[in-house]
Amino acid sequence: MESKMTQNRNKLIDLFIGNIANAVVHKILEQAVEEELLRKYYDKELLNSVEIARRYRAKINPINNILPEKDIEYIKSKVINKVNSELKLRIAKGYKNINLDLVVIIADKMLVDMKVKD
Amino acid sequence: MDQIYIPKERMPGFELGATVLIKPVLQKAKPKPYYYKVKNLEPIKNTFIAEILNYIDQFDNVIITGSFLEKGFDFEDIDVLLITDKKIGTYSIKYHFEREFGIGIHIIVIGFKSLLKGLNTDPLFQMMLSKFVSKERVIFRIENKIDYKLLDLHLLKSKILIDNFDFLPGEEKYKLTRNLIAIKLFMENEKISTETLNNEIENHFGKGAVRNINENLLDKGFLDKYKNLYDKIFKEILNGIKNDSKQK
Repeated sequence: MESKMTQNRNKLIDLFIGNIANAVVHKILEQAVEEELLRKYYDKELLNSVEIARRYRAKINPINNILPEKDIEYIKSKVINKVNSELKLRIAKGYKNINLDLVVIIADKMLVDMKVKD
Repeated sequence: MDQIYIPKERMPGFELGATVLIKPVLQKAKPKPYYYKVKNLEPIKNTFIAEILNYIDQFDNVIITGSFLEKGFDFEDIDVLLITDKKIGTYSIKYHFEREFGIGIHIIVIGFKSLLKGLNTDPLFQMMLSKFVSKERVIFRIENKIDYKLLDLHLLKSKILIDNFDFLPGEEKYKLTRNLIAIKLFMENEKISTETLNNEIENHFGKGAVRNINENLLDKGFLDKYKNLYDKIFKEILNGIKNDSKQK
């Protein structure tokens, strides 16, 4: 029973990581695009990764407190690696203006927002 | 001297000897909405449209769009585009309609130039304006301009379905699939409307796919097809970015 609960928690953490990583990539690409993002005007329809990440976070214990240090480190390093590999894929194809220095800053901010860390 | 008659039961302010001001009653001209590709709208919806266009009249144009214009009453709110370059608050308008009719209104304030730009570069903008009712007659000449970086951003949204397939409700899966297919059609320079999108979803994922997605009756076969299409489009976009960067 306990092992099943741990499995579920790990699965939720992985899903959480995927969505936060997607959100960070989106944020950084938004800044790299030269054009004004007109979709912001009507984007209410489309679900976004931050919203989904929030849903998963609400199921990961402890819900009302930050996560244990071990989880924080795991989540943070996974998010950063995922984001870097997504962005590097684009840089390799000649995508300009991608600022990799922002990865840690934005990831950190999102993890604080999600009450993963202080 | 001309005479003016007032009712015997005089309203306050009309007492004998009171000074009053006589003004003509200016009746607002009733707006004649312009319907673009909207057919057989339920009469109650026409009443709402008239109310909206009558109430909101201080903008260059007012465009009503979205699922409200589809058959039936399966819409969450009414999408209203206020075309203006001014910055305006929309709270009082939303509040008015919510209070008067109990209907949510989603207001988008956008300048005409931005709207045209959105139409030329964003497939979902095209879907949004494939059917509309407006206060003033308006014709959009759309020329697809492919900006691979923008498409990359739009496509990223649809990745959510792959990562969260087991946890998303059908309605959300449908919107994400529609986004993916809209990008596909846009890159193929095809017309984008609710109908063409649904047709393409059925073409790609099989007959009954639109209903199955909405009702969340999907198996891993759907996910495999979705992933393949996503990867194919992503690859094309990356190649587009590569070619663009070579030209610069």
